[in-house]
Amino acid sequence: MIIGALILTGCSSMGVEPWERDVLAKDEMQLIADPLEVAIDEHIYFSKEASSGGRGFGGGGCGCN
Amino acid sequence: MKNNKPKTAAATLATATCALLGTTALAPVHAQEEPEWEFDTALLYYGESDNRVQDVSLNFLALRNFVDDRILTMSLGVDTLTGATPVGAVPFNGPQTFTSPSGNAVATRPAGEIPLDDTFLDTRVALSANWQQPWGRLNTVSGGLSASKEYDYLHLGANFKVSRDFNERNTTVSFGLAFAADEWSPIGGTPTPLTPMAEVGNLSNRMGDKSKDVVDVVLGVTQVINRNLLVQLNYSLSNSDGYLNDPFKIVSLVDPATGDPIARAPTPGADSPSHQYLFESRPDARTKHSFFGQAKYYMGGKVLDASYRYMTDDWDIDSHTLDVRYRWPISDNSYIEPHVRYYTQTHADFYRTSLASGSPLPVNASADYRLGEFDAITFGVKYGWKTESGNEWNARLEMYSADGTVPGDLRIGTNQAGLDIYPDLDAVIFQLGYRFGR
Repeated sequence: MIIGALILTGCSSMGVEPWERDVLAKDEMQLIADPLEVAIDEHIYFSKEASSGGRGFGGGGCGCN
Repeated sequence: MKNNKPKTAAATLATATCALLGTTALAPVHAQEEPEWEFDTALLYYGESDNRVQDVSLNFLALRNFVDDRILTMSLGVDTLTGATPVGAVPFNGPQTFTSPSGNAVATRPAGEIPLDDTFLDTRVALSANWQQPWGRLNTVSGGLSASKEYDYLHLGANFKVSRDFNERNTTVSFGLAFAADEWSPIGGTPTPLTPMAEVGNLSNRMGDKSKDVVDVVLGVTQVINRNLLVQLNYSLSNSDGYLNDPFKIVSLVDPATGDPIARAPTPGADSPSHQYLFESRPDARTKHSFFGQAKYYMGGKVLDASYRYMTDDWDIDSHTLDVRYRWPISDNSYIEPHVRYYTQTHADFYRTSLASGSPLPVNASADYRLGEFDAITFGVKYGWKTESGNEWNARLEMYSADGTVPGDLRIGTNQAGLDIYPDLDAVIFQLGYRFGR
């Protein structure tokens, strides 16, 4: 809770005003700009490596690993 | 899962602000007149060298925008898999014969090669649906269901996520929970761990269907740093319980002096394996912790997307993943995006390339190359172009190359010392995509 409060307090000094969001609103500036490509890549790497997830949920879904 | 909330919230705010100021929006952001349906489609070819796994898949994503930022997302993926995959047996200078995973045939692999199973053939169909909506003024909730079916594997999953905006929506804190219930039902049954591969027709050491449950928890913070920089930090915990083996993977029993596999006497009247192989045995639980960070930085039209993940688990596997993409517009309606990804992992504490005959068996042992120590690098490039109607075509070509290391203490006997035991991997990824309705 304390760490969370500190993060929020620290974060409050950063950021933009609502009218400064033109760049952040662009498709290519979304954290997941191409959801299908991310899903395909996560499926490939899940089946070939011992790690998965991190960006989102990582468990199960395939007999490939 | 599509994270559409920032776009719609930001777009709505931008347009509302512009309306108050009596100006037009700076960018052609989607707001108020957001198209109802958006579609994303992709054809993928994934091909490994040396006739190993080949995958052709078709993928669809449909997104429906409703009023008040409520969003329905549905996806469908169909994969057709063929090719050969390493079984885990150690190579040596003689041919080796294996009983197929179904227990109804044998196949012989040539001397000196890392043994592969070329009976690998599957079709996978995956479906998901997700609903997202605001909850109060500052919260967003979403819930989803997923299912996938292969010939011998079923996955069912459910997930839930809640996020809250702070600091004039510059900080978003999220919490997600996912549950998966998966089941193996291979032909002939799942093998009992550390029991020998038997002759054709002998399924006495096979069990019935086996299941595993996976629970994932993800905590995340997304922060707008300034007009051009956005960062995300996530911690995730993943807990798997149940049958975590690959039922098709085996470990060779070898002579402790030479390191060569121990011959097996043929069973009279039945095709038999040539040597002694044991089915792998993994622990029945695994806990993974992942720390993930991502930054998106806008530089006068170009976008740098960099992410890093550290993963550690109680199988003693640690991994680092670094991923960098750089989107570079080359005209008003096209871009090029180079991509580099580096991955490295340590081996699981029960990873063994083989087991010495005559010694007590360990509780767990697996020779699955994906649990070994390796580095992998991906180089790729993507090209995208917009049509006059605003739809987008994109094509990407990537090369994935994994290079493993087998430490000396995991090599047994004189003949394994200089042997190429680890099945290195080279693969090509080609994807053609089309996004429309946006």
